[in-house]
Amino acid sequence: MFHSVICSESRKLIAQYMLGLDAEVTYHNFYPQLNQFHPLHFFTSPDSSIISKNISCASIGMNTVGIIRAPRGDGKEAIVLVTPYNPKKVVLGEALSLGVAYSVFSLLSRVTWLAKDIIWLVADSQYGEYSSVSAWLREYQAPQFHRVVVNSETCNESSTIEGKLYSGFRRAGTIAAALVVKVAEDGNHFDDSLNIYAEASNGQMPNLDLINIVNYLAVHKQHLRIKVSKMWSLLGSKWLNTLGVVLECIGQYARRLNPQWKFGIPANEYVEGTATLASSMYYQGLGVPTGPHGAFRDYQVDAITVEISPKVSPTKMNRHIDFIFRGGRLIEGVVRSINNLLEKFHQSFFLYLLTSPSKFVSVGVYMIPFALLGAPLPIVAASLYMFSSKTTPQAPVASEVDFSLESWKWINSAKKVFVIHLWGVAVSLLPYFLCRIPGLTPTNNLTVWGSFAVLSLVILFSMLGYPTSVAVPSEAEKREWANLKSVTLSATFIGLSLMSVINFATAEIGALLIVPFCLMARPLMLDIQARSMRTLLLATCNLALGFIAFPPCAFLLLKSAFDSSGGYNISDYWNWMESLWAWNSATYLYIGIVHLPCWALCIHILFHPS
Amino acid sequence: MEFCFLRILKLTMKVLVMLLLFLGNIRNSAAYFSSSSEATMHTNNWAVLVCTSRFWFNYRHMANTLSLYRTVKRLGISDERIILMLADDMACNARNKYPAQVFNNENHRLNLYGDNVEVDYRGYEVTVENFLRVLTGRHETAVPRSKRLLSDEGSHILLYMTGHGGDEFLKFQDSEELQSHDLADAVKQMKEKGRFKELLIMVDTCQASTLFSQLQSPGVLAIGSSMKGENSYSHHLDSDVGVSVVDRFTFYTLAFFERLNMYDNASLSSLFNSYNPNLLMSTAYYRRDLYQRHLEEVPVTNFFGSVMETIHTDSAYTSFTNKNFGGAKTKIFLGQSFSSSDINSVRNSDDEDQFNNLTAEEDQHNEVGQCIFCAMDSGHLWSVIIGNVITHESVDFFVCYGLVLMLPLLVFSTWLSL
Repeated sequence: MFHSVICSESRKLIAQYMLGLDAEVTYHNFYPQLNQFHPLHFFTSPDSSIISKNISCASIGMNTVGIIRAPRGDGKEAIVLVTPYNPKKVVLGEALSLGVAYSVFSLLSRVTWLAKDIIWLVADSQYGEYSSVSAWLREYQAPQFHRVVVNSETCNESSTIEGKLYSGFRRAGTIAAALVVKVAEDGNHFDDSLNIYAEASNGQMPNLDLINIVNYLAVHKQHLRIKVSKMWSLLGSKWLNTLGVVLECIGQYARRLNPQWKFGIPANEYVEGTATLASSMYYQGLGVPTGPHGAFRDYQVDAITVEISPKVSPTKMNRHIDFIFRGGRLIEGVVRSINNLLEKFHQSFFLYLLTSPSKFVSVGVYMIPFALLGAPLPIVAASLYMFSSKTTPQAPVASEVDFSLESWKWINSAKKVFVIHLWGVAVSLLPYFLCRIPGLTPTNNLTVWGSFAVLSLVILFSMLGYPTSVAVPSEAEKREWANLKSVTLSATFIGLSLMSVINFATAEIGALLIVPFCLMARPLMLDIQARSMRTLLLATCNLALGFIAFPPCAFLLLKSAFDSSGGYNISDYWNWMESLWAWNSATYLYIGIVHLPCWALCIHILFHPS
Repeated sequence: MEFCFLRILKLTMKVLVMLLLFLGNIRNSAAYFSSSSEATMHTNNWAVLVCTSRFWFNYRHMANTLSLYRTVKRLGISDERIILMLADDMACNARNKYPAQVFNNENHRLNLYGDNVEVDYRGYEVTVENFLRVLTGRHETAVPRSKRLLSDEGSHILLYMTGHGGDEFLKFQDSEELQSHDLADAVKQMKEKGRFKELLIMVDTCQASTLFSQLQSPGVLAIGSSMKGENSYSHHLDSDVGVSVVDRFTFYTLAFFERLNMYDNASLSSLFNSYNPNLLMSTAYYRRDLYQRHLEEVPVTNFFGSVMETIHTDSAYTSFTNKNFGGAKTKIFLGQSFSSSDINSVRNSDDEDQFNNLTAEEDQHNEVGQCIFCAMDSGHLWSVIIGNVITHESVDFFVCYGLVLMLPLLVFSTWLSL
């Protein structure tokens, strides 16, 4: 009860401040939507009609929205400022971010140059920052006409504010861009700096120009240091530093040969760039938005989160005014830049990976390594097919029919590959049912999931007639693995190509893991029989690659390599997968439908009797 | 005695008729000479100022054009002789911090969009079609005179264009392009129609020099802000307005003109030499091969102002050839006491007198036809007079003689009629 009083009081305070600036103020009520696994809702926004009816007033979230109309604008466009704020547990960082946003908002209510309306959304973040913003956006973009109407009078006492509040949902024009403003809780002890978070769901990025604007204004006008996330563990790694030094030397040598060649960069810059690139790729590949800005990207609105991180912690800060002034100047500059635009951002890149706040790798460049990785797959598949059809002992061809059957031999392998992919689909749907069973710990869940997967795979293989190693295989069976590998490679290639369209970073990371294994996989029997140094090395490589490419192993290895916090548990994998499907990430589908079946097929080839 | 008197009268009539015929002849010959425009006097100045871009971030192009508009107005070209084409979406743009004001400098001392800005073509009217119509004068009948370029063969025209351009083209409001061929073709038509004497084309865009590459018509002088492959840059950003407010080339052009007033004698070459490639960040380009005069001798006010030499002429309805009336000879004529209207009125009154006399004499003698016939008869006298004209080659000399000769005749005839 005490909490709810504080909630309503703080909300009322914010609304009164907004009203003081002659803004249009409304409350927006929403039901918190718990993230659940909806197998049919990949790539679609969740439907708001799935709302359980027994939600009480206490569990309703309430956003406060203030709108300033541009005095001479046409009212067709709007810019959104978002400050996430938890009324139940107000911390100083959030309060400061409210202060920054209010100072900007009060300035904007007086300026003459507004061409777009300004919306200030104070998002109620008690059920998560993302869900409140996405609920408001859903209402803004796709109004529901027959939804459950929350009786706001019974749930809150908004009517007590002098009756100036607008009832119902207020809109401005098309949202041109959005800016989520946060203030970090802890001081970073170095300098006032600014963290930028840009990744939205499925690796979508806002237009690079938005990041450039923030970067330019922060660095050149407000003298803030800009930071984007990095893989910190990479910064200290010896081999990367050595590589950087080597590249620097090569660059210097090249410049001595021809002053026009300027590809050499300092070693520390190279290391920092690599760490940032790795992080950028990881967060894009994950497909999970890194902040509330992700909700905007679902409606094709460019948005980023800027987190101002003061030198000293806000609790110890004794110059709040100065801090608000600096932050406000930055936000004002960004808002004015967007305000001056005539169209949405479209001049710059949407597909890029950041290597520093001001540098990036564009789609044209980063496609090349992926294409080089993917290109061998169809070539090797073709050559294997030729190999298997040529070396089949040619029985005297009796008729044309026999010959044509001979050339359709790959159908058998294709059937096998298809069934394994179906198995992959089944495995990825299983968590949907596991979630329904209450009271399971992540470890239990993972155990059930893993055992089901293995069991079903064994059953499938027995049904398909897995050749037992006891019987002496015929010559045709010996050659069958080549055919199987050829079809597997084709399937992998198609899967990776499709994934590269949906989420490039996932496809790139996945290709790095699976492509070497796919290309090298050959029956261990052959290598053991040959008993030469080369074949034994090959067999070892194959086993190692097979281990690395197994999804849980790959996850744990990467986690231990890049996450220095320690404490690795197998249940982390379940949690990670859970977060993937909860955010509708296509990476989850990729792992279940492309990566896992291809890995299983390669393992099958590895242990093929020949 | 009667016979003698009649003979004298006949002689008088002959001389008078000769004189009338002769004066008519002078007019014809003068009209013939004026048809070649090289020899025509510079009589008026026009300016066509075009801003070819729109949208808020092209604020500087409108500021460029308005600055030049202000300059040429200050130097004496009146509004009715300026065709101003502007997208005109800056002053009242919602993004403008200073509503209804346009500045070309961050000090904000000068509001270019103050009083008396007459925009002839505004907003979406600024099209390639309208631009070419203005140049060539092919308008629909409903277009008012204020929107037409009513220049003639004695006009000096300043054509200023600014916007976004490229290799041999200039963009019009992000939707159309004016190609260098189009411009050259329009200028050629203007030349053939006698719509200008001299034309100065000044262009401030990227790769401006390429726009002149197809020009062929004589009397055209062209200045561009940059060479092929070069960009033209803005001069400075006004952080208060939020955009760049003026381009470099125009800024330094204006800086040159700010030092001048209407009566300064700065030459075109001093303007051209004032452009410093380091300050412009591009190389200003001049195409002068179509232009005959020496740039050192041409004052900038010949194009950017409207400063005319005041010339007294002795004939109202004829235009005079440079050869006879230009330069030093003007002063001689100024020295004479005859003004054109004086001469005109004198001659008219003389004609009337003669006519009156003639009718009076007709009444007396009823022999008019015969008299004229007699005049026609004495052909040798006619050829002698024409011969004199050709040998003297001075029309006025002969006119003066004629007038002097008429005085005693007038006295004689009035005495007779008394």
